[in-house]
Amino acid sequence: MGTCGETRARGWPMSVSGTVMGGARPDDARRHNRAAVLRRLHRDGPCTRAMLVTELGLNRSTIKSVVEELTLSGLVSERLPAQRSGAGRPSLLVLPRPHAAVVLAVDIRVDRVSTALIGLGGEILERLSWRLNERSRQPLEVLTKVIESARLLIDELGAPVRAAGVAVPGVVRNADGLVRQAPYLSWADVPLGEQLTAGLRMPVAVANDAELGALAEHTRGVARGASNVVFVVGDVGVGGGVISDGVALRGAYGYLGELGHMVVRPDGRECHCGYRGCWETEVCEAALLRALDLPPGTVRGELVAELRELAADPAAALARLAGFTRWLSIGLVNVVNMFAPELVVLGDLLVALPCSVLDAVSVEVRERSMIGRALGDTRVVRSVLGSDAKLIGAAELAFSPVLDAAAT
Amino acid sequence: MTSPILELRGLNKSFGPVHVLHDVDLAVRPGEVMALVGDNGAGKSTLVKCIAGIHPVDSGEIRWAGRPVRVTGPRDAAVLGIEVVYQDLALADNLDIVQNMFLGRERGKAWAMDEADMERAARETLATLSVRTVKSVRTLVSALSGGQRQTVAIAKAVLWESKLMLLDEPTAALGVAQTRQVLDLVRRLAEQGIAVVLISHNISDVFEVSDRIAMLYLGRLVADLPTRQLTHSQVVELITAGRSGELGLARPDTVTI
Repeated sequence: MGTCGETRARGWPMSVSGTVMGGARPDDARRHNRAAVLRRLHRDGPCTRAMLVTELGLNRSTIKSVVEELTLSGLVSERLPAQRSGAGRPSLLVLPRPHAAVVLAVDIRVDRVSTALIGLGGEILERLSWRLNERSRQPLEVLTKVIESARLLIDELGAPVRAAGVAVPGVVRNADGLVRQAPYLSWADVPLGEQLTAGLRMPVAVANDAELGALAEHTRGVARGASNVVFVVGDVGVGGGVISDGVALRGAYGYLGELGHMVVRPDGRECHCGYRGCWETEVCEAALLRALDLPPGTVRGELVAELRELAADPAAALARLAGFTRWLSIGLVNVVNMFAPELVVLGDLLVALPCSVLDAVSVEVRERSMIGRALGDTRVVRSVLGSDAKLIGAAELAFSPVLDAAAT
Repeated sequence: MTSPILELRGLNKSFGPVHVLHDVDLAVRPGEVMALVGDNGAGKSTLVKCIAGIHPVDSGEIRWAGRPVRVTGPRDAAVLGIEVVYQDLALADNLDIVQNMFLGRERGKAWAMDEADMERAARETLATLSVRTVKSVRTLVSALSGGQRQTVAIAKAVLWESKLMLLDEPTAALGVAQTRQVLDLVRRLAEQGIAVVLISHNISDVFEVSDRIAMLYLGRLVADLPTRQLTHSQVVELITAGRSGELGLARPDTVTI
């Protein structure tokens, strides 16, 4: 199958993002072109036919027929753009129709489960969440509630849902969604993928939450357009997702991602994983509470408010969080040395860190990491998707096969 | 412990011969969802209206960010950074979303409001909350569903960078899914550091969303405890009898109005 006019695959390895013109069977070519246009609209939002022509490198008449087919199947709509540019007949604006392809996204956290219905184009259409405690954290309880909530959301939306994506804070086997280990949930070998597929009666994909956070930042967040990215999510635990050369690094079975369990202090604190001195013991929520002299069990909002207040006085922030900053830097120096990212994105609770801390960490990473020195411009930035990153990533995971199927 | 954004000390309020609030002490911290529960007539709404500057207090002190303040009207409250969302009266039906979000605080000169600017700010605020977006921010509020209205009312607090949000039964008129949607939004706002006081009659909603529960019984604050230390039945007992085991009033039967 010959490809030309290739659009660069920036994200998901499973994605078919090339456009096909010559050498392939006409059906294949058309299907690929439809998928490429749909993906472009889903990922980057509405644009004119003229922009599709330039961006995808397809000719004008191909775009015209592809868009007409997609309109006919209800996936996109067209209207005249509000602002005209230049003289002549304006090119029609092509918009994805959110309700035409909807997926269920589930983000299982240690203390909360968030669920949402997300439409074509990435818009969150419906959402709800619930608190987890000792009892409601049991796999069967979570499973039942996810199914219940999905029904509630789907009834409310009144449109069919095609697939589901689930983010789990633990080691997940991508192929069948088996959760091997999620220490904070006290889950071991939970066949979440299989059970949810049966319970929801739709295809369900499960992945590590940080991996999905990375996917979200890469698709819709601050890492759009970057090819080498590490997403570090700091919450109750700490995890990481890696995008290398535009593709997610997965490791065997998709297990890669437990960056929080790099050992940085062999004689350090006990970790949830059963050993000592993991990076996350020094940079997780509990570590922040310790640094700020807040009692264990302080609610998340209070901690965030405290960090916000601290940000008003950069010097004091740096002084109070000196130890935390040091451990965050050490871990990130290791991460940069390992993966050579141009961008390190900090997610969840780490988003609330004061600017002065972030700046100190950036400098340290650039100067202390060999790779950082070689790259010269590795940046450490905050996630723009905030606590929704994993939810949005879960939706993108579910969307990937849905978009391919929709284009056929 | 972080320092409270709002603190009430010895608050008293009477309407004529009816003593509605008795020496109420309460502290609300940033980033915390405090549920205020109590039976009908326990004084919940009066308390919220005292904080919002609608009712003047008879005695006692209101402290904001550690300093005593006088809140003599809704405008004072808004200047401090207090936003109030009522059950169903929060928005003006005959105005659109943008007009509602800027009601009383329009941008630009009185004779030339900067409509485009306001529209953009309203749209961006709703987008950052990533809640089901309405077709257009120029939609009349009368055309919105109950859940969407409450979302717009809550979005106002975000637009104006409020520090404290008072929600007086925000989900009383909503269905199950929309209630959950609004509670999810409340939770997310608190996690960004906004202080929330939520009045609700629904105990399971309270347990779902709150970090602390303050219980009023005949105008007296009988308990104020972290949610995780309480059970449903304790809360119900405290609401109806003013006492549950070791918690609450020593002699609830002697309480007078």
